[in-house]
Amino acid sequence: MKRRVLLQSAAGAALLAGGGMPAMAQSRAETLRYVTGATINTLDTTMFGATRESFGLSMNVYDRLFRFGRKKVADYWVFDPDKIEGELAKSYSISPDNKVITITLRDDATWQDGSPVTAEDVKWSLDRAVSAKSLAAPQFTTGSLTSVDQFKIVDPKTLTVTLEKPDRLALANLCVCYAIMVNSKLAKQNATGEDPWAQEWMKTNTAASGAYIVESHKAGESTVLRRNDKWAGAPGGTLPFFRRIIIQTVPEPATRANLVERGDADLSIDLAAADLPTIEKSAKAKLVSMPQTNGFTHVSMNTQAAPFDNPKVRKAVAAALSYDDMFKAAIFERGRKLYDGTWTTTPPDASFPQPIPNKADPALAKKLLAEAGFPNGFSTTFAFNVGAAATAEPVAALLKESLGKVGIQVEIQKKPDAEFNTLASERKMPFFMDGATAWLPYTYYFFYLYFTREQRWNFSSFKSTKMEELTLDARYQTDKAKYDDDCLKMIEIFNAETPLIMLWQPNHDAAMAKSVDGYTYQFYRQADFRDLKRV
Amino acid sequence: MLAGIARRVGRRLLASIPALLGVVVVTFILMRVLPGDPATFFASGPSAGQAEIEELRRTMGLDKPIPVQLVRYLGEIAQGNFGRSMTTGQPVVLDIKRRLPASLELTCVALLIALVFSLPLGVFAALRQGSVIDHAVRLLCTLGVCVPTFVSGLLLIYAFYYLLGWAPDPTARIDIFASPPPDITGFYLIDFAVTGDWDGWWAAFRQLMLPAFTMALFVLAPLARMTRASMLAVLGSDFIRTAHAMGLSRLRIIVAYALRNALLPVITITGIVFSTMLGANVLVEKVFSWPGVASYALDALLASDYAPVQAFVLLMASIFVLVNVTIDVLYGIADPRVSVA
Repeated sequence: MKRRVLLQSAAGAALLAGGGMPAMAQSRAETLRYVTGATINTLDTTMFGATRESFGLSMNVYDRLFRFGRKKVADYWVFDPDKIEGELAKSYSISPDNKVITITLRDDATWQDGSPVTAEDVKWSLDRAVSAKSLAAPQFTTGSLTSVDQFKIVDPKTLTVTLEKPDRLALANLCVCYAIMVNSKLAKQNATGEDPWAQEWMKTNTAASGAYIVESHKAGESTVLRRNDKWAGAPGGTLPFFRRIIIQTVPEPATRANLVERGDADLSIDLAAADLPTIEKSAKAKLVSMPQTNGFTHVSMNTQAAPFDNPKVRKAVAAALSYDDMFKAAIFERGRKLYDGTWTTTPPDASFPQPIPNKADPALAKKLLAEAGFPNGFSTTFAFNVGAAATAEPVAALLKESLGKVGIQVEIQKKPDAEFNTLASERKMPFFMDGATAWLPYTYYFFYLYFTREQRWNFSSFKSTKMEELTLDARYQTDKAKYDDDCLKMIEIFNAETPLIMLWQPNHDAAMAKSVDGYTYQFYRQADFRDLKRV
Repeated sequence: MLAGIARRVGRRLLASIPALLGVVVVTFILMRVLPGDPATFFASGPSAGQAEIEELRRTMGLDKPIPVQLVRYLGEIAQGNFGRSMTTGQPVVLDIKRRLPASLELTCVALLIALVFSLPLGVFAALRQGSVIDHAVRLLCTLGVCVPTFVSGLLLIYAFYYLLGWAPDPTARIDIFASPPPDITGFYLIDFAVTGDWDGWWAAFRQLMLPAFTMALFVLAPLARMTRASMLAVLGSDFIRTAHAMGLSRLRIIVAYALRNALLPVITITGIVFSTMLGANVLVEKVFSWPGVASYALDALLASDYAPVQAFVLLMASIFVLVNVTIDVLYGIADPRVSVA
């Protein structure tokens, strides 16, 4: 038992106060052990190749100027992109022409090394995001944040962000994982002539002000966090419940499930679907499931090459699929359907993703194929990546079967992740399955990101002048009614052209100890330790 | 004799350099021929576009022709720089330095367990050829080799951790709430023993048992079968009959005369088994979250992360060379005639 005393550094106060066994039990209660199959490969999320696990860490360690609030959907907490709250910012105001955002910082905010947070630090951080070669710069362009000239210091606690046009996503971009606020004095000490933004140093060190302090970090093994008791960004001034977080990489999903089920680990969000029913029945663990409100699983077709360049062929495929069977076989109905929509040409509202009026209708599929000039069907390949095999394999098998019935012969190709990514990026797959989640789940942003421009995330290489125009107008549209109207039109085009077929929003399944509460589904699909508590 | 051994070791090491060089070049080219572009894979963040992919390719040096990349790589490894892993974000040398002792400790303990069981089993099976014991050993060996390690590993976890609760949770080298020993050799059992922390030693030992037995089970078969076959051959030879005729004790005949002579092929197979275990224990490492080099290399391979895979293959090749040299030396001890040649 002696070795468990090591927890004391975090719970030292509790140990001194209580002494002996009860205090040690206390320290375990205030420690959250989180097990994951992935690796945190950098402490600086903006680095090329940062893993999703690194995004999660960054949100807990670094503050941003703003954060999304959360709302209750059914029984569970989900992030709310329409509620933007200050994190390092105390307040903000937007000029009447929507072009100047004035940000006031919290008076009491300090960096984890104790020095005060100043407007100068914030400006440096924003400059870093738009200047350094990193993932932050392309993300920031989606909010029209591109140049250091846009960020001006007014006084030590105030600065302004000036936009050329009133971009609706400027503020939201300051909430995303990449928008970290950095202790510029500390970072500059570790910058070099070649590396003015201290990118090398920040891969393995932190200069943050967030809720948790990195105590130790062994990539691929474990990362230990200690609560920052001076965290100024705490909502309502209440510090997070857990004093200590242990993030541990456990590659085998069955082992992760065992650990949570036996109560040895407190939280895991990447269990195998097959283990979930056991967790639901378990005496010590529970399951928190909610649809990934900002995501979609889809079957994409290359709209720039035959035969899928013909919208009728794409419509035919959409009518041929056996959606319900796929929904059952692939994700055990754990999610929200994005098919079986009840409308025909105009959607009921401007939200997206929403159920699209696709239904299994083989007769219609055959008719459309004949109209498109393929009365006897054709042959093609269907690819998915090994990493997604658990859900993609049943989908592929059912797809092959149902398309076979209308004359389309499909050869299934299973690709290693790196190869799949390369092929997707080079547009070499005619027909494939993938998933996507948008950090900023606004209808316009979905269409801008996934259905315009020649770029990696335009899965189906979709080209439509009308769509480009609509997204451009929506981006700078300040009139809510006109914006909604643009969005409705985008969804109409999407339905009419069917560049890709929406299947569903899979559930985000978080398995946790019965005592853990307050889990929130976040846009970056990782655990936010700051909301969690033990009850 | 010592000088002879040293000369032979030196010659063998020298002769292995071209082979190692070949391994480096082949791995290097193979990684680049494989489909999958690391730059695309790692730049796959939200909103990352072609510009970011190109930039990453440039920083990784992938924009140059392959021969140029190869020459640059050889120059860098000559200076001990093996590049940086994109999967962990750390320099490869640092990763391997931390992870190799974990793999070695697991493999050595597993091999020890396997030898402790397989030698007596092989000997008994040879002495009682065709008996119930012989068949029992054969059954055990067949089972061990037939059941893949991830199955036996998960079964052991299920039984000893999940159901019985005897084993600690099968994650990593030591209880996550405890602290690891000071880094002296990297072998936890040795480091704990050196610092006299026996609680820690016991914790690390308990953690090691399940993965070590899982691996041992898998290599029991070649070792026991080889011991049996080799013993059978020796037991049938003239000098054993002579020893019996001289009235030597049974134990002395079996251990001192028969077993010593039967060991030669067993040593060979042990060397091969050891090298294979080190590289092939990736499944055991994955199942038990053991932070070793094999699982590290597999993760890197799936991500088309060149640097760690190349370093791993070179490391395995070097270990293979070292193991072979060690076996040569051991031959000399088991059978002095070998070192004369």
